[in-house]
Amino acid sequence: MSENYKFDTLSLHAGHIPDKETGSRAVPIYQTTSYVFNSTEEAASLYNMEVGGHLYTRISNPTVAALEQRLAALEGGASALACSSGMAAMHLVVSAICSNGDHIVASSKMYGANINLLQHTMPRFGVKTDFVNPNDPDAIERAIKPNTKLVFGEVIGNPGLDIMDVPEIAKICNSKNIPLVLDATFNTPYLMQPFKHGANIVVHSLTKWLGGHGIAIGGAIVNGGNFDWGDKDKFPTISGPHFALGGISFWEEFGPSALIAKIRAEGMYNFGPSLSPTNAFHLMQGIETLPLRMKKHIENTHSISDFLVNHEMVEWVKHPDLETHPDHQVAKRILPKGSGSIVAFGIKGGREAGKAFIESVQLASHLANVGDAKTLLIHPGSTTHSHLSSEAMKEGGLTDDMIRLSVGLEDIDDIKKDFEKGFKAVKKLNK
Amino acid sequence: MIITFKGAKTYIGTGGKSLVNTKRTLCFLHGSGQNHLSFIQQARFFAYKGYSVIVPDMPAHGFSDGNPCKSIKENAEWINDLLVELNLKEVVVIGHSQGCLVALELNRIFKSFLKSVIFVAGSNKIPVNQFLLDLSKDNPQKASKMMVTWGHGIDGDLSINKWPGHSHYGEGNNIMCMNKPTALKHDLNSCNDYLDGIDASKKIEVPTLAVLAKNDQMTPLKSGLKFVELLKNCETHILDCGHFLPSERPMELNSIINSFLLKLE
Repeated sequence: MSENYKFDTLSLHAGHIPDKETGSRAVPIYQTTSYVFNSTEEAASLYNMEVGGHLYTRISNPTVAALEQRLAALEGGASALACSSGMAAMHLVVSAICSNGDHIVASSKMYGANINLLQHTMPRFGVKTDFVNPNDPDAIERAIKPNTKLVFGEVIGNPGLDIMDVPEIAKICNSKNIPLVLDATFNTPYLMQPFKHGANIVVHSLTKWLGGHGIAIGGAIVNGGNFDWGDKDKFPTISGPHFALGGISFWEEFGPSALIAKIRAEGMYNFGPSLSPTNAFHLMQGIETLPLRMKKHIENTHSISDFLVNHEMVEWVKHPDLETHPDHQVAKRILPKGSGSIVAFGIKGGREAGKAFIESVQLASHLANVGDAKTLLIHPGSTTHSHLSSEAMKEGGLTDDMIRLSVGLEDIDDIKKDFEKGFKAVKKLNK
Repeated sequence: MIITFKGAKTYIGTGGKSLVNTKRTLCFLHGSGQNHLSFIQQARFFAYKGYSVIVPDMPAHGFSDGNPCKSIKENAEWINDLLVELNLKEVVVIGHSQGCLVALELNRIFKSFLKSVIFVAGSNKIPVNQFLLDLSKDNPQKASKMMVTWGHGIDGDLSINKWPGHSHYGEGNNIMCMNKPTALKHDLNSCNDYLDGIDASKKIEVPTLAVLAKNDQMTPLKSGLKFVELLKNCETHILDCGHFLPSERPMELNSIINSFLLKLE
């Protein structure tokens, strides 16, 4: 009997049913590199992509596949592929779609590594990117050229927290038959499922909220299956004959899952950014509690935002759920459950004040990650961006008083008390 | 491959190998609202086994243009004409769901072609409830989604798939969305209106194979078992899954079909 299970149920069950042989309720960790073939015929059928199955863990693995199928179910996608990190996912998508001479339109307000890949690395291979304001659909449309092969952005920008108007941008991409690829790490499918808003491909850093416990690095690509790759001139390596498997056309043979089939056959095979089965297991443990955690993340985020807004030592607070955020209306429309659990705020007293604050809090951890169950903080002005002048930081959308806060799941009163210790240190410094 | 047939662009999947019309050809016929992609894991499998394989997208389905056929008979005539056009000499037809009704009719009218018929999740009649008929006309996307949900067994609900990373629902919905919007309405009405199944079943003289599904909600097992009683000398298998046997149990299905084909040699 088909049930069409809901999100919370899929978070726990999708991708796995108890093993018939052992009865294992949890997804087993298949810590193996390879799989015994029952016959040469079976081996050939796997190599030729005649049927699904596993032949080598660099390409696929049963534990990793359970994670992939869970992600596909949660996002409402046709298929998914998990890999070693979010950046690996990003590179796999770009390299699967683009070739020498192609062009990308991307948001100018993104995670530094995403910008580095597109601005510095890909041009060496002949793929150029124009960066535009993600809040300006007209600018995105104007930037699209005849050789543009994808539009890329982050649903919730890191670290600026800009919100992309996904339905508007999807309409533009759709009218020009260009796939809209979104980094949905900060929202997770719990807060927003991009395919419902017209996006075509989603990439995730599973390391963050999906995994949620800061114990395993991983990434994923989820393919909406809603993009027509049939234009052989525009997407020759997906719809035209590919060098692999005697000139296979991934589009003709795999339709909605063409992109994932191509990435598995080419990207995973040639580049090899596979996810370890043990990490896949850890990440799935996190996903089991994703709905519970995201509810609490959002509840705590709203509480700490109010606390910071009303605090005398705080100059400014930025979160898309606050009415003062420039993208608040877009956030309300596309992220009605909440706009994630990253809050940026500025402390009165500039760079030195930020440094004093961060060094005085005890419960919140000072580190370079987000999306952990524990509250995390970083002060870019004294750490990741300490080599930059105040002016240079401003150009990148950062200020030297800015603290990036990743709100955790603690009792929020304890975090507030902890922050008071930081503010006390700042007060002392300011005197 | 793409050909122009009856004045319309027509796509025919060949499993990644060239069609050799002098060899025995396996002709896969897709179900209502489906296209060649419902046989992803059969087309390449049998093509690489050395069979000549064709998986046509019926008019207005998948990559094919043209107007959808409006009855099972019209579907059968279209297939018959295609087999003539391709100059195929010896054909084993493998139908899934609606494709089984088309295969029955094809045998009834044009039996000289057929060396065998294989029925997957089939019956001699496929009545469709009025709600789904109406929905396929008013909101084919919603109707497709409901069919994908009803059609799959527990593996669909829980995204259990032998093909790593693939989702039955996500893939199934998008496969159906590739068709022209009017295709589903005509398919479902064709099934509902087809009343010659008993006669057509009794007329089959060639060896037959039926693979039925235990948890089939589209062509229920009970109906499938009555159907096979009408067939002379039919080899029958029942698999533990839903209606979408080709993607839910690809290896088991391929193995059963392969053994049957070897017996035909």
